[in-house]
Amino acid sequence: MRVIKHYRVHLGTLAWILHRLSGLALIFYLLLHIWVIHHLIGGEESFDGIMERFNNPLFKFLEVGLIGVIMFHLFNGLRVTLIDMGVLVERQKLLFGIAVALWLVCWFVISVAMISRFGGVPFS
Amino acid sequence: MATHAFKINRYNPDDERRGHYMQEYPLDVQKGWTILDCLNEIKWKQDGSLTFRRSCRSGICGSCAMTVNGVNMLACETQALTLKSSTIVVEPLRGYPVIKDLVVDLEPLVESLYAVKPYLITKTPLPTDQERFQSPEERAKIDGLYECILCGACTSSCPSFWADKKYIGPHGFLKAYRFVADSRDEGTREHLEALDDKHGLWRCHTIFNCVEACPKDLNPTKAISELKKELVREKIG
Repeated sequence: MRVIKHYRVHLGTLAWILHRLSGLALIFYLLLHIWVIHHLIGGEESFDGIMERFNNPLFKFLEVGLIGVIMFHLFNGLRVTLIDMGVLVERQKLLFGIAVALWLVCWFVISVAMISRFGGVPFS
Repeated sequence: MATHAFKINRYNPDDERRGHYMQEYPLDVQKGWTILDCLNEIKWKQDGSLTFRRSCRSGICGSCAMTVNGVNMLACETQALTLKSSTIVVEPLRGYPVIKDLVVDLEPLVESLYAVKPYLITKTPLPTDQERFQSPEERAKIDGLYECILCGACTSSCPSFWADKKYIGPHGFLKAYRFVADSRDEGTREHLEALDDKHGLWRCHTIFNCVEACPKDLNPTKAISELKKELVREKIG
Protein backbone atom coordinates (compact mmCIF):
# COMPACT_ATOMS: atom_id res chain seq x y z
CA MET A 1 0.00 0.00 0.00
CA ARG A 2 1.29 3.43 -0.84
CA VAL A 3 1.56 6.30 1.60
CA ILE A 4 -1.41 8.56 1.00
CA LYS A 5 -0.18 12.07 0.35
CA HIS A 6 -3.61 13.56 0.03
CA TYR A 7 -4.70 16.34 2.38
CA ARG A 8 -8.40 17.24 2.52
CA VAL A 9 -9.34 20.19 0.33
CA HIS A 10 -11.22 22.59 2.58
CA LEU A 11 -13.21 25.52 1.17
CA GLY A 12 -10.31 27.93 1.82
CA THR A 13 -7.95 25.68 -0.15
CA LEU A 14 -10.40 25.55 -3.04
CA ALA A 15 -10.66 29.36 -3.04
CA TRP A 16 -6.88 29.65 -3.08
CA ILE A 17 -6.42 27.12 -5.92
CA LEU A 18 -9.10 28.80 -8.06
CA HIS A 19 -7.55 32.20 -7.36
CA ARG A 20 -4.14 30.95 -8.49
CA LEU A 21 -5.50 29.26 -11.63
CA SER A 22 -7.58 32.31 -12.61
CA GLY A 23 -4.50 34.50 -12.02
CA LEU A 24 -2.42 32.30 -14.34
CA ALA A 25 -5.17 32.38 -16.98
CA LEU A 26 -5.21 36.19 -16.76
CA ILE A 27 -1.44 36.37 -17.26
CA PHE A 28 -1.86 34.26 -20.39
CA TYR A 29 -4.65 36.56 -21.59
CA LEU A 30 -2.55 39.67 -20.93
CA LEU A 31 0.33 38.28 -23.01
CA LEU A 32 -2.09 37.54 -25.86
CA HIS A 33 -3.63 41.00 -25.46
CA ILE A 34 -0.24 42.74 -25.63
CA TRP A 35 0.70 40.66 -28.68
CA VAL A 36 -2.56 41.71 -30.39
CA ILE A 37 -2.13 45.37 -29.47
CA HIS A 38 1.47 45.41 -30.73
CA HIS A 39 0.05 45.04 -34.28
CA LEU A 40 -0.86 48.75 -34.03
CA ILE A 41 2.79 49.47 -34.85
CA GLY A 42 2.20 47.88 -38.26
CA GLY A 43 -0.57 50.33 -39.05
CA GLU A 44 -4.30 50.03 -39.66
CA GLU A 45 -4.07 47.11 -42.07
CA SER A 46 -2.00 44.96 -39.74
CA PHE A 47 -4.29 45.65 -36.76
CA ASP A 48 -7.49 45.05 -38.69
CA GLY A 49 -5.97 41.82 -40.01
CA ILE A 50 -5.25 40.43 -36.55
CA MET A 51 -8.64 41.54 -35.23
CA GLU A 52 -10.28 39.74 -38.14
CA ARG A 53 -8.51 36.55 -37.15
CA PHE A 54 -10.14 36.68 -33.70
CA ASN A 55 -13.56 37.46 -35.11
CA ASN A 56 -14.95 33.93 -34.94
CA PRO A 57 -17.30 31.98 -32.65
CA LEU A 58 -14.46 30.23 -30.79
CA PHE A 59 -12.95 33.50 -29.57
CA LYS A 60 -16.35 34.96 -28.74
CA PHE A 61 -16.97 31.92 -26.58
CA LEU A 62 -13.55 32.34 -24.96
CA GLU A 63 -14.30 36.01 -24.29
CA VAL A 64 -17.37 35.07 -22.28
CA GLY A 65 -15.11 32.67 -20.35
CA LEU A 66 -12.52 35.44 -19.90
CA ILE A 67 -15.11 37.66 -18.24
CA GLY A 68 -15.90 34.75 -15.89
CA VAL A 69 -12.22 34.36 -14.97
CA ILE A 70 -11.81 38.11 -14.40
CA MET A 71 -14.97 38.30 -12.29
CA PHE A 72 -13.89 35.37 -10.10
CA HIS A 73 -10.42 36.84 -9.59
CA LEU A 74 -11.97 40.22 -8.82
CA PHE A 75 -14.48 39.08 -6.20
CA ASN A 76 -12.23 36.52 -4.51
CA GLY A 77 -9.46 39.14 -4.61
CA LEU A 78 -11.74 41.50 -2.67
CA ARG A 79 -12.38 38.67 -0.18
CA VAL A 80 -8.64 38.13 0.28
CA THR A 81 -8.13 41.89 0.68
CA LEU A 82 -10.80 42.05 3.40
CA ILE A 83 -9.15 39.11 5.17
CA ASP A 84 -5.75 40.81 4.98
CA MET A 85 -7.35 43.88 6.55
CA GLY A 86 -8.64 41.70 9.38
CA VAL A 87 -12.29 42.08 8.34
CA LEU A 88 -14.56 39.05 8.85
CA VAL A 89 -11.59 36.65 9.06
CA GLU A 90 -13.69 34.35 11.24
CA ARG A 91 -16.36 34.28 8.52
CA GLN A 92 -14.11 33.48 5.56
CA LYS A 93 -16.46 30.76 4.31
CA LEU A 94 -19.39 33.17 4.30
CA LEU A 95 -17.18 35.70 2.49
CA PHE A 96 -16.35 33.06 -0.12
CA GLY A 97 -20.05 32.31 -0.54
CA ILE A 98 -20.79 36.00 -1.09
CA ALA A 99 -17.88 36.31 -3.55
CA VAL A 100 -19.11 33.28 -5.52
CA ALA A 101 -22.69 34.61 -5.57
CA LEU A 102 -21.57 38.04 -6.81
CA TRP A 103 -19.27 36.38 -9.34
CA LEU A 104 -22.02 34.20 -10.83
CA VAL A 105 -24.60 37.02 -10.95
CA CYS A 106 -22.18 39.50 -12.59
CA TRP A 107 -20.87 36.89 -15.00
CA PHE A 108 -24.41 35.96 -16.02
CA VAL A 109 -25.52 39.57 -16.57
CA ILE A 110 -22.40 40.52 -18.54
CA SER A 111 -22.52 37.30 -20.59
CA VAL A 112 -26.12 37.99 -21.60
CA ALA A 113 -25.17 41.54 -22.59
CA MET A 114 -22.17 40.28 -24.58
CA ILE A 115 -23.99 37.49 -26.38
CA SER A 116 -26.82 39.82 -27.38
CA ARG A 117 -24.29 42.16 -28.97
CA PHE A 118 -22.18 39.58 -30.78
CA GLY A 119 -21.24 40.68 -34.23
CA GLY A 120 -19.27 43.56 -32.75
CA VAL A 121 -15.49 43.71 -32.68
CA PRO A 122 -13.82 41.47 -30.08
CA PHE A 123 -10.95 42.79 -27.96
CA SER A 124 -12.30 46.29 -28.34
CA MET B 1 -15.74 -9.09 11.57
CA ALA B 2 -14.17 -5.95 12.99
CA THR B 3 -16.09 -2.70 12.75
CA HIS B 4 -13.16 -0.62 11.53
CA ALA B 5 -10.00 -0.95 9.47
CA PHE B 6 -7.09 1.20 10.60
CA LYS B 7 -4.56 1.91 7.87
CA ILE B 8 -1.49 3.22 9.58
CA ASN B 9 1.67 4.65 8.06
CA ARG B 10 4.65 2.56 9.14
CA TYR B 11 8.28 3.52 8.86
CA ASN B 12 11.24 1.93 10.56
CA PRO B 13 14.53 3.87 10.30
CA ASP B 14 16.41 0.59 10.74
CA ASP B 15 14.74 -0.81 7.62
CA GLU B 16 15.40 1.96 5.08
CA ARG B 17 14.94 -0.47 2.18
CA ARG B 18 11.29 -0.98 3.02
CA GLY B 19 10.70 2.76 3.49
CA HIS B 20 7.17 3.98 4.25
CA TYR B 21 4.27 1.58 3.90
CA MET B 22 0.68 1.34 5.07
CA GLN B 23 -0.28 -1.47 7.44
CA GLU B 24 -3.88 -2.41 8.05
CA TYR B 25 -5.25 -3.39 11.47
CA PRO B 26 -8.85 -4.55 12.01
CA LEU B 27 -10.39 -3.19 15.21
CA ASP B 28 -13.75 -3.38 16.98
CA VAL B 29 -14.25 0.26 17.92
CA GLN B 30 -16.44 0.89 20.97
CA LYS B 31 -18.58 3.99 21.45
CA GLY B 32 -16.56 6.77 23.05
CA TRP B 33 -13.13 5.55 21.96
CA THR B 34 -10.79 8.22 20.73
CA ILE B 35 -8.27 7.64 17.94
CA LEU B 36 -5.66 7.47 20.70
CA ASP B 37 -7.64 4.72 22.49
CA CYS B 38 -7.76 2.81 19.18
CA LEU B 39 -4.01 3.19 18.63
CA ASN B 40 -3.40 1.99 22.19
CA GLU B 41 -5.65 -1.05 21.60
CA ILE B 42 -3.68 -1.89 18.46
CA LYS B 43 -0.33 -1.37 20.18
CA TRP B 44 -1.24 -3.33 23.30
CA LYS B 45 -3.13 -6.23 21.71
CA GLN B 46 -1.99 -6.52 18.10
CA ASP B 47 1.39 -4.99 17.37
CA GLY B 48 3.72 -3.74 20.07
CA SER B 49 6.06 -2.24 17.50
CA LEU B 50 3.57 0.48 16.48
CA THR B 51 5.10 3.79 17.55
CA PHE B 52 3.35 7.08 18.32
CA ARG B 53 3.68 9.98 20.75
CA ARG B 54 1.10 10.53 23.45
CA SER B 55 1.15 11.89 26.93
CA CYS B 56 -1.75 13.67 28.62
CA ARG B 57 -4.61 12.08 26.61
CA SER B 58 -6.73 15.18 27.31
CA GLY B 59 -5.83 17.78 24.69
CA ILE B 60 -3.33 19.70 26.82
CA CYS B 61 0.13 18.49 25.85
CA GLY B 62 -0.16 18.42 22.06
CA SER B 63 1.94 15.26 21.68
CA CYS B 64 -0.51 13.23 19.64
CA ALA B 65 -1.17 15.57 16.68
CA MET B 66 -1.39 13.44 13.53
CA THR B 67 -3.13 13.29 10.18
CA VAL B 68 -6.32 11.26 10.37
CA ASN B 69 -8.28 10.71 7.15
CA GLY B 70 -6.39 13.57 5.51
CA VAL B 71 -6.85 16.19 8.24
CA ASN B 72 -4.59 17.14 11.14
CA MET B 73 -6.04 16.66 14.60
CA LEU B 74 -5.23 15.48 18.10
CA ALA B 75 -5.73 11.72 18.37
CA CYS B 76 -6.82 12.07 22.01
CA GLU B 77 -9.57 14.61 21.27
CA THR B 78 -11.17 12.86 18.31
CA GLN B 79 -13.68 10.08 18.84
CA ALA B 80 -13.31 7.44 16.15
CA LEU B 81 -17.07 7.10 15.52
CA THR B 82 -17.44 10.84 14.81
CA LEU B 83 -15.33 10.34 11.65
CA LYS B 84 -18.23 8.31 10.20
CA SER B 85 -15.88 6.16 8.18
CA SER B 86 -15.14 2.46 8.58
CA THR B 87 -11.66 2.98 7.20
CA ILE B 88 -9.42 5.26 9.23
CA VAL B 89 -6.12 6.30 7.70
CA VAL B 90 -3.55 7.52 10.21
CA GLU B 91 -0.39 9.28 9.02
CA PRO B 92 2.36 11.32 10.68
CA LEU B 93 2.20 15.13 10.45
CA ARG B 94 3.40 16.04 6.98
CA GLY B 95 6.23 18.44 6.30
CA TYR B 96 8.38 17.19 9.16
CA PRO B 97 10.97 14.40 9.02
CA VAL B 98 9.51 11.11 10.23
CA ILE B 99 11.52 9.46 13.00
CA LYS B 100 9.43 6.29 13.25
CA ASP B 101 5.86 5.33 12.27
CA LEU B 102 3.74 8.28 13.49
CA VAL B 103 6.51 10.14 15.31
CA VAL B 104 7.92 13.22 13.58
CA ASP B 105 10.88 15.42 14.44
CA LEU B 106 9.33 18.71 15.60
CA GLU B 107 12.66 20.49 16.03
CA PRO B 108 11.94 22.81 13.04
CA LEU B 109 8.64 23.80 14.72
CA VAL B 110 10.51 24.92 17.81
CA GLU B 111 13.26 26.65 15.84
CA SER B 112 10.79 28.76 13.87
CA LEU B 113 9.12 29.66 17.16
CA TYR B 114 12.40 31.07 18.52
CA ALA B 115 12.49 33.47 15.55
CA VAL B 116 9.54 35.48 16.90
CA LYS B 117 11.04 35.76 20.42
CA PRO B 118 8.11 34.02 22.11
CA TYR B 119 8.46 35.63 25.54
CA LEU B 120 7.45 38.83 27.31
CA ILE B 121 9.86 41.65 26.47
CA THR B 122 9.83 44.59 28.89
CA LYS B 123 11.89 47.78 29.02
CA THR B 124 10.49 49.73 31.94
CA PRO B 125 11.70 48.42 35.30
CA LEU B 126 9.32 46.34 37.36
CA PRO B 127 7.28 48.46 39.81
CA THR B 128 8.73 47.82 43.26
CA ASP B 129 7.42 44.64 44.87
CA GLN B 130 4.57 44.47 42.39
CA GLU B 131 3.63 42.37 39.45
CA ARG B 132 2.95 43.90 36.04
CA PHE B 133 -0.78 44.43 36.29
CA GLN B 134 -3.33 44.05 33.54
CA SER B 135 -6.94 45.17 33.53
CA PRO B 136 -9.56 42.50 32.75
CA GLU B 137 -10.11 44.26 29.39
CA GLU B 138 -6.39 44.12 28.54
CA ARG B 139 -6.29 40.49 29.61
CA ALA B 140 -9.26 39.68 27.37
CA LYS B 141 -7.25 40.81 24.33
CA ILE B 142 -5.06 37.73 24.49
CA ASP B 143 -8.00 35.33 24.61
CA GLY B 144 -7.81 33.03 21.61
CA LEU B 145 -4.03 33.53 21.47
CA TYR B 146 -2.52 32.20 24.70
CA GLU B 147 -4.27 28.80 24.51
CA CYS B 148 -1.92 27.39 21.85
CA ILE B 149 -0.40 24.06 22.93
CA LEU B 150 2.21 23.94 20.14
CA CYS B 151 1.06 20.61 18.77
CA GLY B 152 2.09 21.53 15.21
CA ALA B 153 -1.25 20.62 13.60
CA CYS B 154 -1.60 24.09 12.00
CA THR B 155 1.84 24.51 10.48
CA SER B 156 2.00 20.96 9.15
CA SER B 157 -1.38 21.51 7.39
CA CYS B 158 -0.13 24.68 5.67
CA PRO B 159 0.70 24.47 1.92
CA SER B 160 2.99 27.50 2.30
CA PHE B 161 5.00 25.49 4.84
CA TRP B 162 5.07 22.40 2.59
CA ALA B 163 6.63 24.59 -0.11
CA ASP B 164 9.04 26.46 2.17
CA LYS B 165 10.44 24.60 5.15
CA LYS B 166 11.88 27.84 6.53
CA TYR B 167 8.42 29.44 6.66
CA ILE B 168 7.78 30.50 10.24
CA GLY B 169 4.29 29.04 10.13
CA PRO B 170 0.93 29.83 11.73
CA HIS B 171 2.01 28.62 15.19
CA GLY B 172 4.84 31.18 15.20
CA PHE B 173 2.59 34.01 14.04
CA LEU B 174 -0.06 33.19 16.62
CA LYS B 175 2.58 33.20 19.35
CA ALA B 176 4.08 36.46 18.07
CA TYR B 177 0.68 38.16 18.13
CA ARG B 178 0.01 36.75 21.60
CA PHE B 179 2.87 38.98 22.84
CA VAL B 180 2.25 41.93 20.50
CA ALA B 181 -1.34 42.05 21.80
CA ASP B 182 -0.23 41.78 25.43
CA SER B 183 -0.50 45.16 27.23
CA ARG B 184 2.56 44.34 29.38
CA ASP B 185 4.83 43.64 26.40
CA GLU B 186 7.11 46.43 25.15
CA GLY B 187 8.99 44.51 22.48
CA THR B 188 6.66 44.72 19.47
CA ARG B 189 9.56 45.55 17.16
CA GLU B 190 11.56 42.55 18.38
CA HIS B 191 8.63 40.19 17.83
CA LEU B 192 7.93 41.61 14.36
CA GLU B 193 11.53 41.61 13.17
CA ALA B 194 11.61 38.08 11.79
CA LEU B 195 8.10 38.35 10.34
CA ASP B 196 8.82 40.98 7.66
CA ASP B 197 10.70 38.49 5.54
CA LYS B 198 10.20 36.14 2.61
CA HIS B 199 9.88 33.28 5.09
CA GLY B 200 7.56 35.39 7.22
CA LEU B 201 4.06 36.85 7.15
CA TRP B 202 3.86 37.64 3.45
CA ARG B 203 4.02 33.97 2.48
CA CYS B 204 0.59 33.37 4.04
CA HIS B 205 -1.90 32.94 1.20
CA THR B 206 -4.99 32.83 3.44
CA ILE B 207 -5.69 29.18 2.68
CA PHE B 208 -7.15 28.66 6.20
CA ASN B 209 -5.93 25.06 6.59
CA CYS B 210 -4.42 26.14 9.94
CA VAL B 211 -7.82 27.30 11.22
CA GLU B 212 -9.44 24.04 10.12
CA ALA B 213 -6.68 21.96 11.77
CA CYS B 214 -6.34 23.74 15.14
CA PRO B 215 -7.60 21.40 17.89
CA LYS B 216 -8.06 24.36 20.25
CA ASP B 217 -10.25 26.23 17.73
CA LEU B 218 -7.85 29.17 17.54
CA ASN B 219 -7.57 31.39 14.47
CA PRO B 220 -3.95 31.90 13.35
CA THR B 221 -5.12 33.63 10.16
CA LYS B 222 -6.78 36.34 12.27
CA ALA B 223 -3.47 36.79 14.12
CA ILE B 224 -1.66 37.01 10.77
CA SER B 225 -4.07 39.73 9.55
CA GLU B 226 -3.49 41.72 12.74
CA LEU B 227 0.29 41.34 12.44
CA LYS B 228 0.17 42.45 8.79
CA LYS B 229 -1.70 45.57 9.89
CA GLU B 230 0.86 46.12 12.65
CA LEU B 231 3.74 45.93 10.12
CA VAL B 232 1.98 48.26 7.67
CA ARG B 233 1.23 50.73 10.48
CA GLU B 234 4.89 50.67 11.46
CA LYS B 235 6.03 51.34 7.89
CA ILE B 236 3.61 54.06 6.83
CA GLY B 237 2.41 55.12 10.26
